Amino acid sequence: MGHIEFHQVTKRFDNGHEALKDISVEFDEGSMTFLTGHSGAGKSTFLKLLMCLDQPSRGQILVNGVNVTQISPRRLAYYRQNLGAVYQDHHLLAHRTVFDNVALPLRVSGMREKDIVRRVRAALSRVGLLPKEQLFPGHLSTGEQQRVGIARAVVPRPKILLADEPTGNLDPELSQDIMHLFEQFKQVGTTVIIASHDHDLIESMNSRIIELGNGSIVGDRIDGHV
Amino acid sequence: MTRKAKLRKDPWPRVHTGPLTWWRDHRRVAGETVHFVSARLGASLLVWLLVGIALALPAGLFLLQINLAGMTTAWEGRPGLSVYFDLGLAEAEITAAAEALGSRSEISSVKITTQAEALQEFQTYSSLANALDLLAENPLPASLRATLRDGASLMDLELVAEFAGRRAGVSEVVMEKTWLQRVTDITRVVSRLGLMLGVLFGLAAVLVTATSVRLAIEARLEELRVLKLVGATDRQIRRPYLYFGAFYGLGGGMIAAMLISLCLVIIETPLTHLLGSYGQNLEMSGFDPKFLAVLLVVGGILGIAGALLAARQRLADLEIN
Repeated sequence: MGHIEFHQVTKRFDNGHEALKDISVEFDEGSMTFLTGHSGAGKSTFLKLLMCLDQPSRGQILVNGVNVTQISPRRLAYYRQNLGAVYQDHHLLAHRTVFDNVALPLRVSGMREKDIVRRVRAALSRVGLLPKEQLFPGHLSTGEQQRVGIARAVVPRPKILLADEPTGNLDPELSQDIMHLFEQFKQVGTTVIIASHDHDLIESMNSRIIELGNGSIVGDRIDGHV
Repeated sequence: MTRKAKLRKDPWPRVHTGPLTWWRDHRRVAGETVHFVSARLGASLLVWLLVGIALALPAGLFLLQINLAGMTTAWEGRPGLSVYFDLGLAEAEITAAAEALGSRSEISSVKITTQAEALQEFQTYSSLANALDLLAENPLPASLRATLRDGASLMDLELVAEFAGRRAGVSEVVMEKTWLQRVTDITRVVSRLGLMLGVLFGLAAVLVTATSVRLAIEARLEELRVLKLVGATDRQIRRPYLYFGAFYGLGGGMIAAMLISLCLVIIETPLTHLLGSYGQNLEMSGFDPKFLAVLLVVGGILGIAGALLAARQRLADLEIN
Protein backbone atom coordinates (compact mmCIF):
# COMPACT_ATOMS: atom_id res chain seq x y z
CA MET A 1 0.00 0.00 0.00
CA GLY A 2 2.71 2.48 -0.95
CA HIS A 3 2.13 3.52 -4.55
CA ILE A 4 3.02 7.18 -4.99
CA GLU A 5 2.30 9.55 -7.90
CA PHE A 6 3.29 13.17 -8.33
CA HIS A 7 1.20 14.91 -11.00
CA GLN A 8 2.57 18.22 -12.28
CA VAL A 9 3.53 19.31 -8.77
CA THR A 10 4.88 22.80 -8.34
CA LYS A 11 5.94 24.40 -5.09
CA ARG A 12 6.39 28.15 -5.08
CA PHE A 13 7.28 29.94 -1.83
CA ASP A 14 5.97 33.34 -0.76
CA ASN A 15 9.18 35.02 -1.95
CA GLY A 16 8.52 33.71 -5.48
CA HIS A 17 11.20 31.01 -5.46
CA GLU A 18 10.07 27.80 -7.12
CA ALA A 19 11.50 24.83 -5.21
CA LEU A 20 9.76 22.28 -7.45
CA LYS A 21 8.62 22.87 -11.03
CA ASP A 22 5.92 20.81 -12.65
CA ILE A 23 7.18 17.49 -11.29
CA SER A 24 5.50 14.32 -12.52
CA VAL A 25 6.88 11.04 -11.25
CA GLU A 26 5.67 7.67 -9.99
CA PHE A 27 7.00 5.29 -7.34
CA ASP A 28 5.92 1.66 -7.31
CA GLU A 29 4.99 -0.12 -4.12
CA GLY A 30 8.04 -1.90 -2.68
CA SER A 31 10.54 0.19 -4.64
CA MET A 32 13.63 1.94 -3.37
CA THR A 33 14.56 5.32 -4.86
CA PHE A 34 17.32 7.80 -4.19
CA LEU A 35 16.70 11.51 -4.70
CA THR A 36 19.90 13.30 -5.41
CA GLY A 37 21.00 16.72 -6.57
CA HIS A 38 22.87 19.76 -5.33
CA SER A 39 21.83 21.74 -2.26
CA GLY A 40 18.62 23.64 -2.99
CA ALA A 41 17.69 21.30 -5.83
CA GLY A 42 14.36 20.55 -4.14
CA LYS A 43 15.01 17.18 -2.47
CA SER A 44 13.84 18.21 1.00
CA THR A 45 10.82 20.06 -0.41
CA PHE A 46 9.90 16.93 -2.35
CA LEU A 47 9.94 14.85 0.85
CA LYS A 48 8.14 17.53 2.87
CA LEU A 49 5.29 17.58 0.37
CA LEU A 50 5.04 13.80 0.60
CA MET A 51 4.98 14.01 4.41
CA CYS A 52 2.25 16.66 4.11
CA LEU A 53 4.37 19.13 6.05
CA ASP A 54 3.74 21.63 3.29
CA GLN A 55 1.21 22.05 0.49
CA PRO A 56 2.07 22.15 -3.22
CA SER A 57 1.20 25.38 -5.02
CA ARG A 58 -0.15 23.33 -7.91
CA GLY A 59 -0.61 19.67 -8.82
CA GLN A 60 -1.59 16.49 -7.03
CA ILE A 61 0.22 13.96 -4.87
CA LEU A 62 -1.55 10.61 -4.90
CA VAL A 63 -0.73 7.86 -2.43
CA ASN A 64 -2.61 4.67 -3.22
CA GLY A 65 -4.87 6.79 -5.41
CA VAL A 66 -5.75 9.28 -2.64
CA ASN A 67 -4.75 12.92 -3.02
CA VAL A 68 -2.93 13.45 0.27
CA THR A 69 -2.87 17.22 -0.16
CA GLN A 70 -6.61 17.34 0.42
CA ILE A 71 -7.30 14.80 3.16
CA SER A 72 -8.91 15.64 6.52
CA PRO A 73 -6.68 16.20 9.59
CA ARG A 74 -7.79 12.86 11.07
CA ARG A 75 -6.94 10.88 7.92
CA LEU A 76 -3.71 12.82 7.63
CA ALA A 77 -2.80 11.51 11.10
CA TYR A 78 -3.55 7.92 10.05
CA TYR A 79 -1.56 8.49 6.85
CA ARG A 80 1.42 9.61 8.91
CA GLN A 81 1.08 6.53 11.13
CA ASN A 82 1.80 4.52 7.97
CA LEU A 83 4.74 6.71 7.09
CA GLY A 84 8.23 6.39 8.55
CA ALA A 85 10.34 9.50 8.26
CA VAL A 86 13.97 10.29 9.05
CA TYR A 87 14.66 14.02 9.37
CA GLN A 88 17.89 15.90 8.89
CA ASP A 89 17.46 17.56 12.29
CA HIS A 90 16.31 14.29 13.96
CA HIS A 91 13.28 15.82 15.79
CA LEU A 92 14.04 13.92 19.00
CA LEU A 93 12.52 14.87 22.35
CA ALA A 94 15.30 15.95 24.70
CA HIS A 95 13.47 15.07 27.94
CA ARG A 96 12.55 11.54 26.84
CA THR A 97 14.88 8.58 26.82
CA VAL A 98 16.06 6.91 23.62
CA PHE A 99 13.56 4.11 24.29
CA ASP A 100 10.65 6.53 24.74
CA ASN A 101 11.60 8.48 21.61
CA VAL A 102 11.56 5.34 19.52
CA ALA A 103 8.36 4.09 21.19
CA LEU A 104 6.45 7.31 20.39
CA PRO A 105 4.86 6.22 17.06
CA LEU A 106 3.81 2.88 18.57
CA ARG A 107 2.21 4.56 21.58
CA VAL A 108 0.37 6.95 19.28
CA SER A 109 -0.97 4.00 17.30
CA GLY A 110 -2.25 2.41 20.53
CA MET A 111 -0.06 -0.68 20.62
CA ARG A 112 0.16 -2.78 23.79
CA GLU A 113 3.12 -1.93 26.04
CA LYS A 114 4.42 -5.50 25.91
CA ASP A 115 4.60 -5.37 22.10
CA ILE A 116 6.08 -1.87 22.20
CA VAL A 117 8.98 -3.07 24.36
CA ARG A 118 9.66 -5.95 21.98
CA ARG A 119 9.49 -3.84 18.82
CA VAL A 120 11.51 -0.91 20.20
CA ARG A 121 14.28 -3.15 21.47
CA ALA A 122 14.45 -4.92 18.11
CA ALA A 123 14.72 -1.58 16.27
CA LEU A 124 17.34 -0.25 18.67
CA SER A 125 19.29 -3.45 18.39
CA ARG A 126 19.21 -3.12 14.60
CA VAL A 127 20.79 0.35 14.71
CA GLY A 128 23.24 -0.68 17.45
CA LEU A 129 21.80 1.45 20.25
CA LEU A 130 20.17 -1.09 22.56
CA PRO A 131 22.78 -0.53 25.33
CA LYS A 132 21.87 3.17 25.30
CA GLU A 133 18.09 2.82 25.46
CA GLN A 134 17.81 4.58 28.82
CA LEU A 135 20.00 7.55 27.88
CA PHE A 136 18.63 10.92 26.82
CA PRO A 137 19.35 12.26 23.31
CA GLY A 138 21.58 14.98 24.78
CA HIS A 139 23.98 12.28 25.92
CA LEU A 140 24.40 10.87 22.40
CA SER A 141 26.64 11.91 19.51
CA THR A 142 25.03 13.38 16.37
CA GLY A 143 25.47 10.08 14.57
CA GLU A 144 23.78 8.21 17.41
CA GLN A 145 20.93 10.71 17.42
CA GLN A 146 20.58 10.08 13.70
CA ARG A 147 20.29 6.35 14.38
CA VAL A 148 17.62 6.95 17.04
CA GLY A 149 15.68 8.88 14.37
CA ILE A 150 16.11 5.96 11.97
CA ALA A 151 14.93 3.46 14.61
CA ARG A 152 11.86 5.63 15.29
CA ALA A 153 11.10 5.75 11.55
CA VAL A 154 11.28 2.00 11.03
CA VAL A 155 9.74 0.78 14.29
CA PRO A 156 6.09 1.02 13.15
CA ARG A 157 6.99 -1.02 10.03
CA PRO A 158 5.70 1.72 7.75
CA LYS A 159 4.20 1.33 4.28
CA ILE A 160 6.31 4.26 3.08
CA LEU A 161 9.75 5.15 4.38
CA LEU A 162 11.15 8.62 3.67
CA ALA A 163 14.62 9.68 4.72
CA ASP A 164 16.28 13.07 4.34
CA GLU A 165 20.07 12.60 4.41
CA PRO A 166 19.84 9.63 6.79
CA THR A 167 23.55 8.82 6.63
CA GLY A 168 24.88 12.39 6.73
CA ASN A 169 26.46 11.91 10.18
CA LEU A 170 27.35 8.23 9.95
CA ASP A 171 30.61 6.53 9.04
CA PRO A 172 30.68 4.54 5.74
CA GLU A 173 30.34 1.14 7.40
CA LEU A 174 27.32 2.19 9.46
CA SER A 175 25.84 3.97 6.41
CA GLN A 176 25.96 0.71 4.46
CA ASP A 177 24.34 -1.10 7.34
CA ILE A 178 21.49 1.43 7.51
CA MET A 179 21.00 1.14 3.74
CA HIS A 180 20.71 -2.61 4.07
CA LEU A 181 18.10 -2.08 6.77
CA PHE A 182 16.12 0.13 4.36
CA GLU A 183 16.52 -2.50 1.66
CA GLN A 184 15.02 -5.12 3.97
CA PHE A 185 11.97 -2.91 4.31
CA LYS A 186 11.78 -2.59 0.54
CA GLN A 187 11.79 -6.37 0.25
CA VAL A 188 8.70 -6.66 2.44
CA GLY A 189 6.79 -4.16 0.29
CA THR A 190 7.69 -0.80 1.82
CA THR A 191 8.22 2.05 -0.63
CA VAL A 192 11.51 3.70 0.29
CA ILE A 193 12.59 7.18 -0.87
CA ILE A 194 15.92 8.53 0.33
CA ALA A 195 17.31 12.00 -0.29
CA SER A 196 21.09 11.86 -0.23
CA HIS A 197 24.27 13.53 -1.42
CA ASP A 198 26.40 10.45 -0.91
CA HIS A 199 27.07 9.35 -4.54
CA ASP A 200 29.28 6.39 -3.62
CA LEU A 201 26.61 5.00 -1.33
CA ILE A 202 23.85 5.63 -3.88
CA GLU A 203 25.76 3.95 -6.69
CA SER A 204 26.49 0.92 -4.51
CA MET A 205 22.79 0.23 -3.90
CA ASN A 206 21.73 -0.54 -7.52
CA SER A 207 18.44 1.26 -7.05
CA ARG A 208 16.48 3.89 -8.93
CA ILE A 209 18.10 7.32 -8.81
CA ILE A 210 16.19 10.53 -9.51
CA GLU A 211 18.35 13.58 -9.91
CA LEU A 212 16.83 16.96 -9.19
CA GLY A 213 18.25 20.23 -10.46
CA ASN A 214 16.72 23.64 -9.74
CA GLY A 215 13.37 22.06 -8.90
CA SER A 216 13.10 19.85 -11.97
CA ILE A 217 13.88 16.21 -12.64
CA VAL A 218 17.10 16.15 -14.66
CA GLY A 219 17.77 12.43 -14.47
CA ASP A 220 15.83 9.25 -13.71
CA ARG A 221 17.68 5.95 -14.02
CA ILE A 222 17.56 2.45 -12.58
CA ASP A 223 20.67 0.36 -12.13
CA GLY A 224 22.62 2.29 -14.73
CA HIS A 225 19.79 2.52 -17.29
CA VAL A 226 18.42 5.99 -18.12
CA MET B 1 -17.45 -5.52 2.11
CA THR B 2 -14.29 -7.60 1.59
CA ARG B 3 -11.01 -6.65 3.26
CA LYS B 4 -9.58 -5.69 -0.14
CA ALA B 5 -12.51 -3.42 -0.85
CA LYS B 6 -12.14 -1.87 2.60
CA LEU B 7 -8.47 -1.17 1.95
CA ARG B 8 -9.29 0.42 -1.38
CA LYS B 9 -11.72 2.70 0.40
CA ASP B 10 -9.35 3.49 3.27
CA PRO B 11 -5.70 2.92 2.36
CA TRP B 12 -4.55 3.79 5.91
CA PRO B 13 -6.80 1.90 8.31
CA ARG B 14 -6.04 2.09 12.03
CA VAL B 15 -4.33 -1.08 13.15
CA HIS B 16 -5.06 -0.78 16.86
CA THR B 17 -8.63 0.24 17.61
CA GLY B 18 -11.30 -0.51 20.20
CA PRO B 19 -12.02 0.33 23.84
CA LEU B 20 -8.82 -1.27 25.15
CA THR B 21 -6.68 0.92 22.91
CA TRP B 22 -8.68 3.95 24.02
CA TRP B 23 -8.28 2.94 27.68
CA ARG B 24 -4.50 2.37 27.27
CA ASP B 25 -4.06 5.81 25.75
CA HIS B 26 -6.08 7.50 28.51
CA ARG B 27 -4.16 5.63 31.22
CA ARG B 28 -0.84 6.63 29.67
CA VAL B 29 -1.87 10.27 29.29
CA ALA B 30 -3.23 10.41 32.87
CA GLY B 31 0.08 9.01 34.15
CA GLU B 32 2.08 11.56 32.15
CA THR B 33 -0.15 14.37 33.39
CA VAL B 34 0.34 13.37 37.03
CA HIS B 35 4.08 13.30 36.39
CA PHE B 36 4.02 16.73 34.68
CA VAL B 37 1.90 18.32 37.43
CA SER B 38 3.95 16.81 40.27
CA ALA B 39 7.18 17.93 38.59
CA ARG B 40 5.86 21.52 38.77
CA LEU B 41 4.19 21.32 42.16
CA GLY B 42 4.75 24.97 43.09
CA ALA B 43 3.08 26.33 39.96
CA SER B 44 0.33 23.70 40.19
CA LEU B 45 -0.43 24.64 43.81
CA LEU B 46 -0.76 28.27 42.78
CA VAL B 47 -3.25 27.34 40.05
CA TRP B 48 -5.20 25.14 42.48
CA LEU B 49 -5.34 28.01 44.98
CA LEU B 50 -6.58 30.50 42.36
CA VAL B 51 -9.22 28.11 41.06
CA GLY B 52 -10.10 27.18 44.66
CA ILE B 53 -10.72 30.79 45.66
CA ALA B 54 -12.78 31.36 42.51
CA LEU B 55 -14.93 28.34 43.39
CA ALA B 56 -15.10 28.94 47.15
CA LEU B 57 -16.84 32.32 46.96
CA PRO B 58 -19.94 31.30 44.97
CA ALA B 59 -20.03 27.90 46.69
CA GLY B 60 -19.90 29.62 50.10
CA LEU B 61 -22.70 31.98 49.10
CA PHE B 62 -24.71 28.99 47.91
CA LEU B 63 -24.28 27.39 51.35
CA LEU B 64 -25.30 30.65 53.04
CA GLN B 65 -28.36 30.90 50.84
CA ILE B 66 -29.63 27.38 51.52
CA ASN B 67 -29.04 27.82 55.25
CA LEU B 68 -30.93 31.12 55.30
CA ALA B 69 -33.71 29.43 53.37
CA GLY B 70 -33.64 26.60 55.92
CA MET B 71 -33.84 29.13 58.75
CA THR B 72 -36.89 30.71 57.10
CA THR B 73 -38.53 27.34 56.80
CA ALA B 74 -37.79 26.55 60.43
CA TRP B 75 -39.46 29.80 61.54
CA GLU B 76 -42.31 29.43 59.12
CA GLY B 77 -43.42 26.24 60.91
CA ARG B 78 -44.02 28.14 64.16
CA PRO B 79 -44.72 31.84 63.59
CA GLY B 80 -45.63 33.86 66.61
CA LEU B 81 -45.30 37.17 68.38
CA SER B 82 -43.47 38.66 71.32
CA VAL B 83 -45.25 40.99 73.72
CA TYR B 84 -43.06 43.36 75.75
CA PHE B 85 -44.53 44.82 78.97
CA ASP B 86 -43.91 48.13 80.72
CA LEU B 87 -41.04 48.06 83.21
CA GLY B 88 -42.17 47.19 86.70
CA LEU B 89 -45.56 45.77 85.63
CA ALA B 90 -47.00 43.44 88.28
CA GLU B 91 -46.59 39.72 87.72
CA ALA B 92 -50.34 39.21 88.11
CA GLU B 93 -50.97 41.57 85.16
CA ILE B 94 -48.47 39.66 83.06
CA THR B 95 -50.01 36.32 83.96
CA ALA B 96 -53.47 37.65 83.14
CA ALA B 97 -52.27 38.84 79.75
CA ALA B 98 -50.73 35.42 79.12
CA GLU B 99 -53.96 33.65 80.05
CA ALA B 100 -55.99 35.98 77.83
CA LEU B 101 -53.74 35.26 74.85
CA GLY B 102 -53.55 31.55 75.62
CA SER B 103 -57.32 31.28 75.60
CA ARG B 104 -57.55 32.42 71.99
CA SER B 105 -58.10 29.73 69.38
CA GLU B 106 -55.22 30.97 67.17
CA ILE B 107 -52.63 30.44 69.91
CA SER B 108 -51.05 27.08 70.67
CA SER B 109 -48.71 28.07 73.53
CA VAL B 110 -47.58 31.04 75.59
CA LYS B 111 -44.29 31.37 77.44
CA ILE B 112 -43.52 34.16 79.87
CA THR B 113 -40.01 35.57 80.25
CA THR B 114 -39.69 37.55 83.46
CA GLN B 115 -37.38 40.58 83.84
CA ALA B 116 -34.88 38.38 85.72
CA GLU B 117 -34.95 35.70 83.00
CA ALA B 118 -34.48 38.34 80.28
CA LEU B 119 -31.44 39.63 82.12
CA GLN B 120 -30.01 36.12 82.41
CA GLU B 121 -30.48 35.47 78.64
CA PHE B 122 -28.82 38.77 77.79
CA GLN B 123 -25.86 37.90 79.99
CA THR B 124 -25.57 34.52 78.28
CA TYR B 125 -25.68 35.71 74.66
CA SER B 126 -24.18 39.19 74.75
CA SER B 127 -20.62 40.37 75.22
CA LEU B 128 -22.04 43.58 76.76
CA ALA B 129 -23.39 41.67 79.76
CA ASN B 130 -20.97 43.37 82.18
CA ALA B 131 -22.28 46.79 81.19
CA LEU B 132 -25.61 45.98 82.87
CA ASP B 133 -23.82 45.69 86.23
CA LEU B 134 -23.20 49.43 86.07
CA LEU B 135 -26.95 50.15 86.03
CA ALA B 136 -28.90 50.47 89.26
CA GLU B 137 -31.84 48.40 88.08
CA ASN B 138 -32.67 45.84 85.41
CA PRO B 139 -33.58 47.76 82.21
CA LEU B 140 -34.96 44.73 80.39
CA PRO B 141 -38.74 44.32 80.31
CA ALA B 142 -40.70 41.18 81.01
CA SER B 143 -42.16 39.61 77.90
CA LEU B 144 -44.15 36.71 76.62
CA ARG B 145 -43.92 34.74 73.46
CA ALA B 146 -47.08 33.40 71.92
CA THR B 147 -46.84 30.71 69.27
CA LEU B 148 -49.57 30.32 66.69
CA ARG B 149 -51.20 26.97 66.17
CA ASP B 150 -50.36 25.02 62.98
CA GLY B 151 -51.98 26.41 59.89
CA ALA B 152 -52.66 29.87 61.33
CA SER B 153 -52.46 32.61 58.72
CA LEU B 154 -50.67 35.93 58.64
CA MET B 155 -54.08 37.57 59.23
CA ASP B 156 -54.53 35.49 62.42
CA LEU B 157 -51.14 36.73 63.56
CA GLU B 158 -52.13 40.33 62.94
CA LEU B 159 -55.44 39.87 64.82
CA VAL B 160 -53.67 38.44 67.84
CA ALA B 161 -51.08 41.24 67.72
CA GLU B 162 -53.86 43.84 67.67
CA PHE B 163 -55.60 42.11 70.59
CA ALA B 164 -52.37 42.03 72.62
CA GLY B 165 -51.50 45.62 71.80
CA ARG B 166 -54.81 46.87 73.26
CA ARG B 167 -54.07 45.48 76.74
CA ALA B 168 -52.94 47.88 79.46
CA GLY B 169 -49.29 47.59 80.45
CA VAL B 170 -48.20 46.35 76.99
CA SER B 171 -45.31 48.43 75.70
CA GLU B 172 -44.68 46.76 72.31
CA VAL B 173 -45.82 43.84 70.19
CA VAL B 174 -43.32 42.36 67.72
CA MET B 175 -44.60 40.01 65.06
CA GLU B 176 -41.91 37.49 64.12
CA LYS B 177 -43.24 37.49 60.59
CA THR B 178 -41.34 40.74 60.12
CA TRP B 179 -38.06 38.94 60.82
CA LEU B 180 -39.13 36.16 58.58
CA GLN B 181 -39.72 38.57 55.73
CA ARG B 182 -36.33 40.15 56.29
CA VAL B 183 -34.61 36.81 56.22
CA THR B 184 -36.54 35.90 53.06
CA ASP B 185 -35.45 39.16 51.44
CA ILE B 186 -31.84 38.59 52.48
CA THR B 187 -32.05 35.06 51.07
CA ARG B 188 -33.21 36.44 47.74
CA VAL B 189 -30.36 38.96 47.67
CA VAL B 190 -27.80 36.28 48.58
CA SER B 191 -29.26 33.93 45.99
CA ARG B 192 -28.94 36.46 43.16
CA LEU B 193 -25.55 37.61 44.35
CA GLY B 194 -24.44 33.97 44.47
CA LEU B 195 -25.68 33.38 40.94
CA MET B 196 -23.89 36.46 39.61
CA LEU B 197 -20.69 35.69 41.48
CA GLY B 198 -20.98 32.06 40.41
CA VAL B 199 -20.95 33.07 36.76
CA LEU B 200 -18.15 35.62 37.21
CA PHE B 201 -15.90 33.44 39.34
CA GLY B 202 -16.69 30.38 37.21
CA LEU B 203 -15.43 32.38 34.24
CA ALA B 204 -12.38 33.35 36.27
CA ALA B 205 -11.71 29.66 37.02
CA VAL B 206 -11.98 28.86 33.30
CA LEU B 207 -9.56 31.68 32.41
CA VAL B 208 -7.05 30.72 35.11
CA THR B 209 -7.06 27.13 33.87
CA ALA B 210 -6.89 28.24 30.24
CA THR B 211 -3.85 30.40 30.95
CA SER B 212 -2.11 27.62 32.86
CA VAL B 213 -2.85 25.07 30.16
CA ARG B 214 -1.63 27.47 27.51
CA LEU B 215 1.66 27.80 29.39
CA ALA B 216 1.87 24.01 29.55
CA ILE B 217 1.28 23.84 25.79
CA GLU B 218 3.98 26.43 25.14
CA ALA B 219 6.40 24.41 27.29
CA ARG B 220 5.76 21.30 25.18
CA LEU B 221 5.46 22.73 21.66
CA GLU B 222 8.39 20.69 20.34
CA GLU B 223 6.82 17.52 21.69
CA LEU B 224 3.51 18.38 20.04
CA ARG B 225 5.24 18.90 16.71
CA VAL B 226 6.94 15.51 16.96
CA LEU B 227 3.66 13.86 18.00
CA LYS B 228 2.03 15.28 14.88
CA LEU B 229 4.92 14.06 12.76
CA VAL B 230 4.47 10.49 14.00
CA GLY B 231 0.74 10.54 13.34
CA ALA B 232 -1.00 11.62 16.54
CA THR B 233 -4.57 12.75 15.91
CA ASP B 234 -5.78 16.15 17.10
CA ARG B 235 -7.70 14.39 19.89
CA GLN B 236 -4.57 12.61 21.07
CA ILE B 237 -2.63 15.86 21.03
CA ARG B 238 -5.37 17.69 22.93
CA ARG B 239 -5.98 14.90 25.46
CA PRO B 240 -3.08 15.62 27.89
CA TYR B 241 -4.24 19.22 28.19
CA LEU B 242 -7.80 18.19 28.97
CA TYR B 243 -6.31 16.08 31.75
CA PHE B 244 -4.35 19.13 32.95
CA GLY B 245 -7.58 21.12 33.01
CA ALA B 246 -9.43 18.38 34.88
CA PHE B 247 -6.57 18.06 37.40
CA TYR B 248 -6.43 21.80 37.98
CA GLY B 249 -10.24 21.95 38.32
CA LEU B 250 -10.44 18.99 40.71
CA GLY B 251 -7.56 20.36 42.79
CA GLY B 252 -9.28 23.76 42.82
CA GLY B 253 -12.51 22.07 43.98
CA MET B 254 -10.64 20.43 46.87
CA ILE B 255 -9.01 23.73 47.85
CA ALA B 256 -12.45 25.40 47.71
CA ALA B 257 -13.88 22.73 50.05
CA MET B 258 -10.99 23.32 52.46
CA LEU B 259 -11.49 27.10 52.37
CA ILE B 260 -15.22 26.78 53.02
CA SER B 261 -14.70 24.38 55.93
CA LEU B 262 -12.08 26.76 57.35
CA CYS B 263 -14.57 29.64 57.09
CA LEU B 264 -17.22 27.55 58.84
CA VAL B 265 -14.83 26.80 61.71
CA ILE B 266 -13.99 30.50 62.05
CA ILE B 267 -17.61 31.74 62.07
CA GLU B 268 -19.05 28.88 64.11
CA THR B 269 -18.85 30.60 67.54
CA PRO B 270 -20.29 34.02 66.61
CA LEU B 271 -22.95 32.35 64.49
CA THR B 272 -23.98 30.13 67.39
CA HIS B 273 -24.44 33.25 69.52
CA LEU B 274 -26.36 35.08 66.80
CA LEU B 275 -28.75 32.21 66.19
CA GLY B 276 -29.08 31.54 69.91
CA SER B 277 -30.32 35.10 70.41
CA TYR B 278 -33.19 34.24 68.05
CA GLY B 279 -33.82 30.94 69.79
CA GLN B 280 -32.24 28.92 67.01
CA ASN B 281 -29.63 26.19 67.19
CA LEU B 282 -26.70 26.13 64.75
CA GLU B 283 -27.47 23.37 62.31
CA MET B 284 -25.32 24.02 59.25
CA SER B 285 -26.83 22.11 56.36
CA GLY B 286 -25.62 21.63 52.80
CA PHE B 287 -21.91 21.01 53.55
CA ASP B 288 -22.18 17.30 52.97
CA PRO B 289 -20.61 14.66 50.67
CA LYS B 290 -23.09 15.55 47.91
CA PHE B 291 -22.04 19.21 48.05
CA LEU B 292 -18.36 18.21 47.97
CA ALA B 293 -18.96 15.90 45.01
CA VAL B 294 -20.77 18.67 43.11
CA LEU B 295 -17.95 21.09 43.96
CA LEU B 296 -15.36 18.66 42.54
CA VAL B 297 -17.42 17.92 39.44
CA VAL B 298 -18.03 21.62 38.77
CA GLY B 299 -14.32 22.30 39.31
CA GLY B 300 -13.42 19.49 36.91
CA ILE B 301 -15.85 20.68 34.25
CA LEU B 302 -14.66 24.29 34.50
CA GLY B 303 -11.05 23.07 34.30
CA ILE B 304 -11.77 21.02 31.18
CA ALA B 305 -13.61 23.99 29.65
CA GLY B 306 -10.57 26.19 30.26
CA ALA B 307 -8.25 23.55 28.80
CA LEU B 308 -10.44 23.17 25.71
CA LEU B 309 -10.40 26.92 25.22
CA ALA B 310 -6.59 27.06 25.41
CA ALA B 311 -6.05 23.94 23.32
CA ARG B 312 -8.40 25.08 20.56
CA GLN B 313 -6.70 28.45 20.37
CA ARG B 314 -3.10 27.23 20.45
CA LEU B 315 -3.21 23.89 18.69
CA ALA B 316 -5.30 25.04 15.74
CA ASP B 317 -2.40 26.97 14.23
CA LEU B 318 0.40 24.63 15.26
CA GLU B 319 3.01 24.57 12.49
CA ILE B 320 5.05 21.40 12.27
CA ASN B 321 7.27 21.94 9.24
